[in-house]
Amino acid sequence: MSALRRALLVARRDLAAERRQPDGLVAALTFTVTLIFVESLAVGPGEARRPAIAAALFWIALLFAAILGATRSFERELEDDAIDAIVALEGGRDALFAGKALALAASLAVVALVGGLLSLVLLDLDVALPLHLALALALGVVALPPVVVLDTLLALRLRARALLVPILALPVLVPQLIAATQGTAAALAGDAGASLGWSGLLVAFALVYGVLGLTIVPAAIE
Amino acid sequence: MEPSAALRAATVVLDDRAILRGVDLDIVPGLTVVRGANGAGKTTLLRALAGLAPLARGTRTASESPILVSHRTALLRALTPRENLAFFVAWRALPPARVDGALARWGLASLADRPLERLSAGQRRRAALARLDAEDAGIALLDEPFSELDDAAATLVRSAIERWTLERRAVVVATHGHPELDAHAVLVVRVAGGSVRPG
Repeated sequence: MSALRRALLVARRDLAAERRQPDGLVAALTFTVTLIFVESLAVGPGEARRPAIAAALFWIALLFAAILGATRSFERELEDDAIDAIVALEGGRDALFAGKALALAASLAVVALVGGLLSLVLLDLDVALPLHLALALALGVVALPPVVVLDTLLALRLRARALLVPILALPVLVPQLIAATQGTAAALAGDAGASLGWSGLLVAFALVYGVLGLTIVPAAIE
Repeated sequence: MEPSAALRAATVVLDDRAILRGVDLDIVPGLTVVRGANGAGKTTLLRALAGLAPLARGTRTASESPILVSHRTALLRALTPRENLAFFVAWRALPPARVDGALARWGLASLADRPLERLSAGQRRRAALARLDAEDAGIALLDEPFSELDDAAATLVRSAIERWTLERRAVVVATHGHPELDAHAVLVVRVAGGSVRPG
């Protein structure tokens, strides 16, 4: 069986578990909606409508939602050592990383859609380049999961993982956060060149951390 | 005879303590019984054979990915027995129909679509054991397979072990009870003081 098919199997299994126990997705959605709402109140409606601020509010919320979603997904795996059954399989470790990243990207896409619509309505945003905005959002959603899943996997067997995952992940995610925020802000403001440039950077981040995860994870998981 | 799985000079260190030291063990088709006191390292030996315990020294070989069924089911509680087993059957590119056959064999046909979290501990254990039939496992590692099971399920396990060994699969059972198994075993070993010796 190909590595891609194995990763898709893991992703499908993860999404089936999420559908049955949607607490991870519900928590991420609630958190994102609340954070966007509270942040926009904190900076004031006029300030929050500025493209750079609106994009930053959105991506900060999504970043924490990604950490929440990944943490819940791996908690499910640890409940009955379900993760061991995959790790023991030939090619299981690679598939675990890639499959979890794919599943998290799918969940995050739902959160981004809801959070994005909420931001548009709540902040009454003008979108100058809708297609560029969609591209920046899609690539941002793809760029975050490899880092978050990698950090969660590395901290998996530690008791303090709930504390350590954000501490490990947030500094590493700063470049992705900047690229996603700038790409989104440029699309809102109508700067097509800048939006595409930052979106290209998001592709690079997704590839680099995807390859890094596939290299590190097989040796790092016990 | 070519071993189905083997450890060579294997040392496993957990929490700065050597649980296994320089273990050499060949697992061949048939029944291998692993005995030892509580905490002697039986579970660690099985996890080492499954590739789940990191070896500080030595090597592990296996002709295929072994399936370990231990105190915990290694299945997702959010999913049903059918969904859990279907994942592994698809992984090994086996016909999906094997899932229903395996669940029926372990008395779970009527519970196949109920999430594991709503099953009893014994039923969850049976779902984990059904994996071995669904995947046609060549190497089965069973850690205290009779715990949490009622008499009927324990009889199912005994007959499954007999069937698997007749099918020339390698079956390793770690237990401190059930001396009747020794009579059917090709090898009985004892784990003590980090070593594994015939016993």
